[in-house]
Order: sequence, then C-alpha cells, then structure tokens
Amino acid sequence: MKADYVASLALVLIGLPLYSHAEDLTDVGEIVRRANLAAYYAGADGRSDARMRIRDSQGREQLRQFTILRRDREDGGDQDFMVFFSRPADVRGMVFQVAKHLDRDDDRWLYLPGLDLVKRISAGDKRTSFVGSHFFYEDVSGRNPSDDHHVLTGSDAQYYVLENTPKDAATAEFKSYTLWVDKQTFLPMKIEYANETGQIYRRVEALEVKLIQGYPTVTRSRMDDLQGGGHTLLEFRYTSFDLGLPEDVFSERSLRNPPRQWLQRPSK
Amino acid sequence: MAHWIANLATSRPKTVYLFVALLTFGLGLQIPSIAIDTDPENMLPDEQHDRVFHNETKKEFGLYDAIVVGAVNNDDPDGIYNIRSLAAMQRVTQEILKIDGVVRHDLMSLSVVDNVTQDGPGAIRFEWLMRKAPQTDAQAVAVRHAVERLPLLMNTLVSGDGKAAAIYVPITSKDQSYRISREIEQIIDRSLAESGATDSYHMTGLPVAEDTFGYEMFVQMGISAPLAGLAIFLLMLLFFRNVTLVLAPMIVAMGTVIAAMGLLIGMGYTVHIMSSMIPIFLMPIAVVDSVHILSEFADTFSDGDDAGETIRQVIGHLFRPMLFTSITSTIGFLSLAMTPIPPVQVFGIFVGFGIMLAFLLTIVFVPAYVVRMSPAQLRSLRVSHDGERTAGPLSRFLPPVGRFSTANAVRLMVAFMIVFGVSILGVTRIQINDNPVNWFKSDHRIRVADEALNRHFAGTYDAFLVLQEHGQDAYKQFSVQAETILDRARQDGVDLGSIGQQADPGDRGEGIDAMVMALDDALFDAGDAEVPYLEELLAVAEIAQSRGRYFQQPEALRLIETLQQVLADSGHVGKTNALPDLVKTINRELLSGTATDYAIPATAAVIAQNLLVFQSSHRPHDLWHMVTPDFRSAVIWLQLRSGDNQDMSEVVKQLDEYLADHPLPAGLSSRWAGKTYINVVWQDAMVAGMAKSLLGAFVVVLIMMIVLFRSFIYGVLAMLPLTITITLIYGLIGWIGKDYDMPIAVLSALTLGLSVDFAIHFLERARAIHQESGSFILTMRQMFEEPARAITRNTIVVAVGFTPLLVAPLLPYVTVGVFLAGIMAVSAIVTLVLLPAMLSILRNRLLPEAGAGPLAQTDHGLEVEHES
Repeated sequence: MKADYVASLALVLIGLPLYSHAEDLTDVGEIVRRANLAAYYAGADGRSDARMRIRDSQGREQLRQFTILRRDREDGGDQDFMVFFSRPADVRGMVFQVAKHLDRDDDRWLYLPGLDLVKRISAGDKRTSFVGSHFFYEDVSGRNPSDDHHVLTGSDAQYYVLENTPKDAATAEFKSYTLWVDKQTFLPMKIEYANETGQIYRRVEALEVKLIQGYPTVTRSRMDDLQGGGHTLLEFRYTSFDLGLPEDVFSERSLRNPPRQWLQRPSK
Repeated sequence: MAHWIANLATSRPKTVYLFVALLTFGLGLQIPSIAIDTDPENMLPDEQHDRVFHNETKKEFGLYDAIVVGAVNNDDPDGIYNIRSLAAMQRVTQEILKIDGVVRHDLMSLSVVDNVTQDGPGAIRFEWLMRKAPQTDAQAVAVRHAVERLPLLMNTLVSGDGKAAAIYVPITSKDQSYRISREIEQIIDRSLAESGATDSYHMTGLPVAEDTFGYEMFVQMGISAPLAGLAIFLLMLLFFRNVTLVLAPMIVAMGTVIAAMGLLIGMGYTVHIMSSMIPIFLMPIAVVDSVHILSEFADTFSDGDDAGETIRQVIGHLFRPMLFTSITSTIGFLSLAMTPIPPVQVFGIFVGFGIMLAFLLTIVFVPAYVVRMSPAQLRSLRVSHDGERTAGPLSRFLPPVGRFSTANAVRLMVAFMIVFGVSILGVTRIQINDNPVNWFKSDHRIRVADEALNRHFAGTYDAFLVLQEHGQDAYKQFSVQAETILDRARQDGVDLGSIGQQADPGDRGEGIDAMVMALDDALFDAGDAEVPYLEELLAVAEIAQSRGRYFQQPEALRLIETLQQVLADSGHVGKTNALPDLVKTINRELLSGTATDYAIPATAAVIAQNLLVFQSSHRPHDLWHMVTPDFRSAVIWLQLRSGDNQDMSEVVKQLDEYLADHPLPAGLSSRWAGKTYINVVWQDAMVAGMAKSLLGAFVVVLIMMIVLFRSFIYGVLAMLPLTITITLIYGLIGWIGKDYDMPIAVLSALTLGLSVDFAIHFLERARAIHQESGSFILTMRQMFEEPARAITRNTIVVAVGFTPLLVAPLLPYVTVGVFLAGIMAVSAIVTLVLLPAMLSILRNRLLPEAGAGPLAQTDHGLEVEHES
C-alpha cells in the first residue's frame, strides 16, 4: 500500500500524467494505434528545434541543426512537415518539405539555396538516410503502421513488447523489428531491427522523455548502427504544440521565404 | 681442437647420438605450434612510417581488405546485362551478405548500391540500383544505362565493355578470408545452378591471394622439401653406393632443418614466405660438409684400416676449410640481418644458425656414425667405392679438366674476363620488379582471375593518394578576430560568461563545432547587451568552420580533379575515383541531367548542399571513403591494371615530376598509401638493403680469406669464384630480362656461401698437397682426383637434388630451384677451371717447384710443360 503511494507520488512529482491503472491492453492494433499517435501526432501541430550529432565508428562527429514544423491534417492520418536547416552554415537555408500520405507515396521537395532550386524528390523508398544520420527518413516521418504485421509477444510492468514484420519484405531492409511501448505514455521507447540472419543490427532508444504542454515527448533519442558502428544522437528543444500553424506555412512559398515567425524559438 | 673433437666423437659415439637426438626432438617439438604469415605488408617492420601511414589511411577512410568476386559473360550479346547473369549476381550478393566476417554495409555490388537519376522535370530520385533482379530484357538494359551514367561505378562495378561485373567483399579480418572465400565459392556454384547463368566467376584480391599462398606454402614445406631431401639421398647413394654411409649426411641435414625451424617457431617467429625457404637453403649446405668428409673417407679408407683413425685424419684435414666455409656462409646469411626487412632478417639469422649447427653436427655426428659402422659395412663401402675410383665417370672426366685448365691458363683467364665484363653489362640492365600475384604460376586460378578481371576492368590493384591539409589559417584568423570582439566586450563592460574564455578552436579546428553550438545556446539565454557580441562571434566562428572544411572548397576539388587527370595520363592507371566524381554526379542530377552540368559547383555552399543531398541516400557513409568528416583529408583511389612495382613506381615518379613543376598550395601535402604502393616500398628497401649487406659480407669474407690463407693473393683468388658466379648469375638475369624480385635478391647470400666454400676447399687442399709433393703438376694431378670429385659431387647433389622445386606451385620456389642449380654449376666450373688456371699463372709465387729457383719458371717453360 505504502509503496504504491510513494511510487504514485514520485510520478506526480516528476510531472508524468497518471493514467488510471486500467487493465493492460491486449488488442495489438490498439497498442499500435496509440503508439503511433503518441510518437507522431502530439497536438494538432508543433514546432521543435532539433540537433543531430552524427558520430561514426571512429568517434568523428558531424552536426546538423534544423527546425521542424508539423501540422496534422487528421489525427493519425496525413501530415505536413517542413524541415529548415540552420547549421552547419554551408547548408543554412536548405528546406525539406514533406506531405505525408497514408494511402499513397509521400510528396517530398527539397530547396537548395545555393542553386536557388526546388527539387521534387521522387518516391524511391523511405528507408534512406535522413541527411547523413543513422536515422532514416521514415524514422523521422513515421512508418505507416499498416505496412507491418504486429504481434504482441510480451509485456512487463513497464512495456508492451511487439514483434513486427513487413507485409512486403521488399520494402524494408529488415526482417523484423521489436518494439517496446511504454504502458503509461504509449511512446515507443526502444526499437531493435533484425536482419535476415536474425542479428540485431540497428537500435533506437528514447533517452529522455519530457512532459510538454501535457504531451509526453521524447526529447533525446539515439540511433545505433550496430553493424558499422557509430550512432546519431537526436535532441529536440524549444518544442511547443498547438501553435495554430497556418496551412500556407506548408507551401512551396516557404521554401524560399522561411516563415520567420514560426522558426524563432519560443520565448522563455 | 679438430683432434679433440674427433677423438671425443669417435670414443663416445653413443653420447653423440643422444645429444643429436635430444637437440632434434627437443626443438622439433616446437614445430607443431607453427604460425604462418603470408602478408606482404610484413616485409616492412610494424613501425615503418609508410606502413604506419598506410594503416592510418585505411582506418581514416574506412578501407578494408577486400575479396574481389568477378563474373564474366562473353557469350550473351548484352554481356553481363542479361536476366540470368544479373539474377545470379543478385543471388550471390544476398548470400555473401549473410556470411560472418563480411563488412556488410561496405560491400559493393550492383544490388546494394544507389542509383541517382532525374525523374521527370524538376525531380530527383534515389533508389537501389538493382534491388531485385530484372525480370525483362528491358529492365536489364536499364541497369546498364544507369551504370553508364555513374562514373564512380562504371569500370569499377561493371566493366566498360559490359561483359564483366564485380562484387567487392570487404572483410573484417584477413584471417577469415580463407573460410569466407570457400563459402563464396559454394554460393557461386549454388547460384549459378539455380539461375541457369553460364558466367565464369573469378575470385581474387589480396586476402585470397595471401591465404592461397599460405596454403601452398604448407604444401611446399610438406611435399617439395622432403622430395628434395629424397633426391639428394638418392644421388648420394649413386655416388657412394652405401645406404648406411649416406644416411649420415641425411641425418645431419634433417637434424639441422628440424632444429633450425623448431628454434625459429619456438622463439615465436611466424613462418613467412622467406622463412619457409629455410629448409630448402639449409639442406644442401648441411649436406655439403658431410660429402667432403665421406668423399675423403671413402677414398682413403682401406680394408683393415682403423675406421676411427681414418676418420680422425680426415677430420684433421678438413676441419679448417670446413670451419671457414661454415663461417663464411654464415656471414653471408647473417649479413641479411642488415636489411631493413624483418622476414629477410629472420631468414638470414636462422640460416646462419643452421649452418653453424650443421657444421657442429657434421664434425661430431659423422665420425661417431662411421666408427659405429660394422666392418662388413665398411668393406662394402670399399668395394663400391673402388669401382668408382677406377672407372667412375667423374674419375674419367675430371683429370682432363684439370689438364685443360692449366694448359690454357691465359686463354681461360681472358675468356673469364670477357664473361665477367658481359655479366657486368647484364647487371646494369637488371629490372627491379616484383608483384606478389606473380608468385603464383600463370595457370594458377589466382593468376587466371587476375588476368581475366584486369582485362575487363580498369584494374583491380589499388593505391591511394592521400591529400592532407595542414593550414590552420582559418582557425588562427578566427582566434584573432574572436579576441578582438571579446576585448571590445570587456571594454564595454559586457560579461559574456564562459564563452569569453574559450576562443581557441584547436589547431585542427576540432573544437569549432562545439563552439558554434555553445554560442548558439548562449544566444538563446543572452540579454540584449550580450547578443550583438555573441552574434558577431558566431558569425566569425561559422566562417572559420566553413573555411576550415578545405575539401569542400571548389578550388580544392578542382585540384583533385587535375591530379586525377595527371594520374590517368601516366598510362598505368585504369581509373581514379575521388570526391569530385561524386559531387559532379550529384550536381548533374540536381540540374539538367546532361553532361554540361557534370561539373564542380562554383561555391563551397553548393558543394556542401550537394553532399547533404548525397547523404540522403542508402549509403551516406560512402562519402567518408573519399574525404574525412572534417574535410581536411581527401583520398584519390587508383585502380591499376598491374600490381608490378615498376608500374606503381612509374606512377609515383610521374606525379612527383608534375608536382615539382606545379607545387601543391601551401599547407597541403600528398602521400601514398595502398598495398600496391607498400610493395614498392619494401621492394626498394630490400634492393638497397641487399646490395649493402652483400657488399658488407663480401668485404668481411675477403678479409677472412686473407687471414685464413695468410696471403693476400690467395684471399683474392678465393673470392674469384663467388665474384664471377654472382655477376654471371645476376648478369644473366639482366640479359634474359627476368625481374629482380624477392627470391632472386635472397639468392645472392646463398651464392656467397656456397661459391666460397668450393674455393676454400680447392685452395686449402691444393696448398696442403703442394706442401707434401712440392710440385705444381703433381699437386694439380692430385687435386683432380679426390678433391675435385668432392666438389663435383657436391655440385651435382645440390643442383639435381633440388629439381623437385621446379614443379612447385609457387614461383619463388621454382626460381630458387633453378638458380640454385645454376649457382652450383657455375661455382663448380669456375672453381675447377679458373682457379687451376690462375694457380698456373701465379705458380711461381704460390706453388713453386721444390728446389727450383724463380728463374726456372718462364712463360716458355710453362707452355712446353703442359703441351707435352
């Protein structure tokens, strides 16, 4: 009794929302749905400053700094993203625009300020590197849950453990991945990707979760390349949700004329 | 000394047996822990600076040793671009990716590389070039068109004629390559069967070559060396016709080889190609002394003699020449320790050790062995040997040789001088060259693969030209600017906190990124007073950061482009790959997609943005095989069609010449790495080292000879056979155009040892006989009986004994076999022909007639005497 009380108090103190201790979910579809919403659809829109430290197997680092704006067209459905690069200075002004669709290929554009060129990125596949990091494009935009078969293989006090296999093996380089979903926040806390031979070659972990405007948000995560060595540390800062981002921010016009108002860090 | 040892050996033969047995078995027990080393890189010491740099380069640019798998299709009109061939290739690749020890993310094959194309107007597309095997001919042709638009892949992954495709399989450790290559072989067989493709697959690459070499080395040591031993045994049997007697030198030779190899392995040395030849070198040398003893013993022993007494006398005669020949041979080999090449040092030292051990075993074991022989065995020896003395071919052949030599002394001397001159001319024509792949015979599958792949591709031998930027201007300038800004802030009474203390980005700018981030963070929390200073600092820091990325600047890429052109123009380079090729390709696809935009962009920013686009592919890390993440070092990959040191040296020379006329910008340096280059380095070191050690050993041996004979002239005479043999052998190599390579270089030491051996025996015996007979004629007559026979027997035993080497699968062994025979033959001829001739010319001074004054010997007298 007493131990339970202390634990609850601790949760309150560190600011995590207390969910009623309902029965564990057994419907894998529901777990997947909630995890997808928690990870990619917090609020109706949002902005965040992101920093990537890409470290190779020899410990050499590259940095990327960018601001992400997001707007959901529908919760759990289509979304718009804008990624404005600010560092290193040589790539400042590069913008990556994404219109994410569930029922068809995403639309993607890239603006290169050096050439003053807007280039449409044709749908190849989504499992290419995100600007040289160990994260894939799909890790940033979110993998469509309907691309995989999901099986709830276990659960403990903290996590639901899901085993996922692609419906079309040709669309992914992995054979399967295991997903650890936090029972409280429904945030995916760890994903391990296995290859043909069953070896885990890639792992992403949430290192820090903060409650921002009531939304549990992963603010630090790390993607490890267990095969080639090296990892990428992704940090989100100055994050805010439900800003009321107007639709026209997510248009080609913003590529050449970034919407300064929304890129500025929110004041303290 | 000699008598004491002979007495000891003949009086306590069992103790001697025990000693020999203990020594042989004790050291022989170490042999099973043998570790083979086939890495040509180990020809250089670990800390040798070129090798250190080579390994740093490999690490810095993530370069692994790779197995090269090549498929060739000469039948299909579309070459390799047909459904079946590509399906097989795809299948092979997928299976290889599953092998343990393969560096998966760096494997290069059509099915795991990216294609970047235009996808309609205004669109760019990244996708796997060949994720799935094509289903239709049109798809197969599309793969061809894609490859032909990608300069980094063209002629690297698929040959220019479209007939061959390659898979580069990087492996984590060279030790694994044998297992991996076997697995790949099985995969190829399976995939070809399943896909119905008829391509011929080849496998090459240094790891495979090294492993195969290691395997063949074992075969060599396990089969050829014992075969050589057997041949020697049979030949000695032919000469002495007595199995029991002939067993003695065989035991000495075996004991020596086992003890030397056991000691080498026991001391923790690996068995390199060089040390694997130790048995082959030691065996003839170990047998030679015994043959001298047995020859004389068989010739002097008569029935009823005391075998012990006879052998003691024989040892008494031969001790000095044998000791000196052993010491001189040892010096010849020990001189190799002066070369800067560890395997050659180890080789020299252990052969040297083996020679001295062989000497010890010979003078201790052979006498002990002889006194243990039964009277019946000794009698049979007499009988068989008597037969030869009177009617044997050597006994009939040799005395006329002696008469001919002394009769034509002057003519022979002139003839040898001409030969010597022609040889010297040949030596100057020697081509120094080596290529580890050519250590295999031309029909070996490695050579076949090498030849086939290099015919189709731009070359499978790689070398790397590394460009490094050392200029710290950008950061120095930043430090100065930052200091000014910080000063102003202090004057204005603005406290910038911890930022103000760390304006040093480090010599290589390693702290600049952290500084930019810190400034960026500080700006967020800063008050109005601090903001302008922080912004100014951030601005100059970002300029330094950008400028510090040297190989992101257009002029740096243009420089690389120029150097690539210079290298391509050298004529030996099939292709180069470097950062400009990648940047230009991306630039083209971002812009018009046509050749006009295959160009280096005008600004560093555009280059950086192009690279960010490239990094959004499946293989962003491929960028770091061409430039380091700090953009301070870049590498040009060279594909050479030949692994010949000469060709690599020529490329190096041409670049040097270009750079002499067009120096690199200040702060920029270039340096070579790569296996092909490393081979040049050790080859050069070896040639120079060998020349030095040979010269050093020559002088030492000459001095020893002068001391031994207590005569300058005798000393010089003793050096004649080896001098002429070495020049003749190397002159021959020069004239026939055989490359001077590793085994050839090492043979000089053997020549030094064996040639001087004959000369010492000949001169020492001639002097001894002359002391008794007092007559030059009689001396020469006697010399061409037993002593000449011993020399001839030795020659034939060693030369013919090594014919099994001629069928060895590895060319260095074949070379050694051929030249060993050549050296023995030439040494013997020079000793038996030139030395009597020279003695004849110098007889007044060296071997005067007893009682005759100097006046009696005129040239006229000489001629009359010999013509009669």
